[in-house]
Amino acid sequence: MKKKSGILALAGLGLTALGLWMALSQGEKPGWPPALPYLLLGLGCGVFGHGTGSWISGKILEGDPQIERRARIETADERNQMIGNRAKAKAFDLMLYLFAGVLLVFALMGVDTVAVLLLTGAYLVCLGWGLYWRFRYEKEM
Amino acid sequence: MKNRLEELRRQRGIRQEELAEALEVSRQTIGSLENGRYNPSILLAFRIARYFGMPIEEIFLYEEE
Repeated sequence: MKKKSGILALAGLGLTALGLWMALSQGEKPGWPPALPYLLLGLGCGVFGHGTGSWISGKILEGDPQIERRARIETADERNQMIGNRAKAKAFDLMLYLFAGVLLVFALMGVDTVAVLLLTGAYLVCLGWGLYWRFRYEKEM
Repeated sequence: MKNRLEELRRQRGIRQEELAEALEVSRQTIGSLENGRYNPSILLAFRIARYFGMPIEEIFLYEEE
């Protein structure tokens, strides 16, 4: 687990460095899509943060079964899980209104149709995913 | 829903941390249960009842609203 986290952190660092180098050396006509360096930077930072976080927590928990047990209990704790799920549900409710508003503003601003359609598609996929899970839970419970 | 968790815990001289450890929940969950801010799942209610060796209805007091 620790080894995997370390590899992930290093891969993230590599991606970030590559993205940074591409962004800095990007001339008028780069040999790659202009958004690629920033995509790599974002992805690299995310992977690096996730990997480093896992590695540090693995290092802290290492050799201390008591703390490891406490961490496992805190994660599995039903109240903690309920709080997390409720917070996520609230954020999702907000996201529905916020994204719909942003999409409307984008459409009124005359932002590129492809971009607006892509965002609308992503928005609808999220709504569809919510419906899918609703029906699945209806069947299962 | 009211409960007698704090009363039973004090009777037995157990700390919140110890009860949380035995029930495999966080100490905050025990605190919230005792304050009546959180109602446990039926599984946790059974675990609590089993821990104290009492029926659920003697620990958790259901009141019609």
